[in-house]
Amino acid sequence: MKKDFFSKYTVISIISVTLFFVIWYVLTAKMMIVPAYVMPDPLKVFGALLRKFTVKTPDGATLGSHIAASLQVALMGFGFGTGLGVPLGILMAWYKTVDRVARPIFDFLRPIPPIAWIPVMILWLGIGTEARAAVIFMSAFIPNVINSYTGIQQTSQVHIWVGRTFGASDFELLTRVAIPSALPNIFTGMRLSLGTSWVSLVSAEMLASTRGLGYMIQIGRQFSRTDLVLAGMIAIGILGGLLAVILEKVENRIVKGRQGYGK
Amino acid sequence: MGNKTVNLIGKNSMRIVLTLLPIIGFLILWQLAAMFTSIGNLMPGPIQVIESLFISFAKPLGPHTIQMHALYSLKRVMVGYGSAVVTGIIFGVSLGLSKMFRALFRPLFELIRPIPTVAWIPISILWFGVDEMSKYFIVFYGAFANVALSVYMGIQRVDPVLVGAAKMLGCSERQLTFKVVLPSCIPYIFSGMQVALSAGIMSVVVAEMINSYEGIGWNIHAGQQTANMTQVLTGMVALAIFGLLMAAILRQVERRMCAWNTRNT
Repeated sequence: MKKDFFSKYTVISIISVTLFFVIWYVLTAKMMIVPAYVMPDPLKVFGALLRKFTVKTPDGATLGSHIAASLQVALMGFGFGTGLGVPLGILMAWYKTVDRVARPIFDFLRPIPPIAWIPVMILWLGIGTEARAAVIFMSAFIPNVINSYTGIQQTSQVHIWVGRTFGASDFELLTRVAIPSALPNIFTGMRLSLGTSWVSLVSAEMLASTRGLGYMIQIGRQFSRTDLVLAGMIAIGILGGLLAVILEKVENRIVKGRQGYGK
Repeated sequence: MGNKTVNLIGKNSMRIVLTLLPIIGFLILWQLAAMFTSIGNLMPGPIQVIESLFISFAKPLGPHTIQMHALYSLKRVMVGYGSAVVTGIIFGVSLGLSKMFRALFRPLFELIRPIPTVAWIPISILWFGVDEMSKYFIVFYGAFANVALSVYMGIQRVDPVLVGAAKMLGCSERQLTFKVVLPSCIPYIFSGMQVALSAGIMSVVVAEMINSYEGIGWNIHAGQQTANMTQVLTGMVALAIFGLLMAAILRQVERRMCAWNTRNT
């Protein structure tokens, strides 16, 4: 990657991104094609993003505390969703009885998009942190169960036979053979659920909240502060990307002996 | 032989019973909880919800009957999702085939992609107003990246043996693209479309919850605002059925169009 840093195509990429911002700037700040409340120029947006770290108007909190509120809820819901979803998926795939009991109920709840739970959770748990965490739990839980389940099911039969031949008990087969070989799938589930968690977090905050990045852009819209809306979107995008990168680093640490494609 | 068939039927019905048992148990528990405990104050039992779902086919729930709500949502999904599939495939194929195109648009695409769909709702309302256009845009955005990325990945994973064989047999660049590369990434196109469909449905529901006067998402949201839990749950059940139906239709289309490739989904 480093080697072709200044190749022709890298230069083109840099030019294309720069051009994007220049055109945006010229169209909005110089030519005034659209009024600023529809689309502010990029400098204004980045200015708003930086200023928001200290300014509390119009939504009553600085960017830092919005980010803290969002992260807290997202990580709580994601943590519980992974902590319960992965074991359930593993148990469902390994033990037929668990599968028989849990599968139908799970299949019943699965097609409901996580955000549809928002009103129900608000009614059950109020508009506090718990309701939002519960919605995120639902959105993290389902991909985790599905992917751990497929991961365990795809355990190579040969590996299981070898384990049996060497006298492994059923439980040992699960912990020593099936779970390690399912790890890539389990992490795929975690990655997917991290993505959906972040999406449902933002929607939960837009619909019912008094803190958080979703709330910030919703208020920004109500006050026609488009610069703030865009600044909030950028912050949401950067944080979501950062979380995904962190998870990928953890995955690279833990998952070993991967075959086939990949970096 | 007769014995065997009987046994088979017995096994099958046993399996069906075992599958249904937990669901029925869950519904009965829910019903009992709604009838006899304080949960009843918070939410209706399943009987009430299913009853309300059936009634809403004839009697309007809010401004429309439930099938009209579903049609409104369907229209939004179809317009947004349809245009996302078409442009997404073109974009993904161009990304995969042309280095120049990749250099030009990949960075911008990666810049915009991490922003979740819902975060676009306020700005799309500012840009396109509260009409249908902003909902189309949201669904489009939710579906586009999934299709584009999946197609792009499909092109990258074309079996090099196939490409080599085609080249050895004297394929032109053009033939290689249209006869080898594109057909072999059709399964990826479909898996992208499948993921994009659920993303699109989710986006339309959020868009309707935040800003609309009809649609399945509106039902859920309106129920919440008037503390009408039956309406919320009816909307959720309708939504689940809607999503399942759409996915099933798409899967059938896939089975027809690429019968040689049976994905286990």
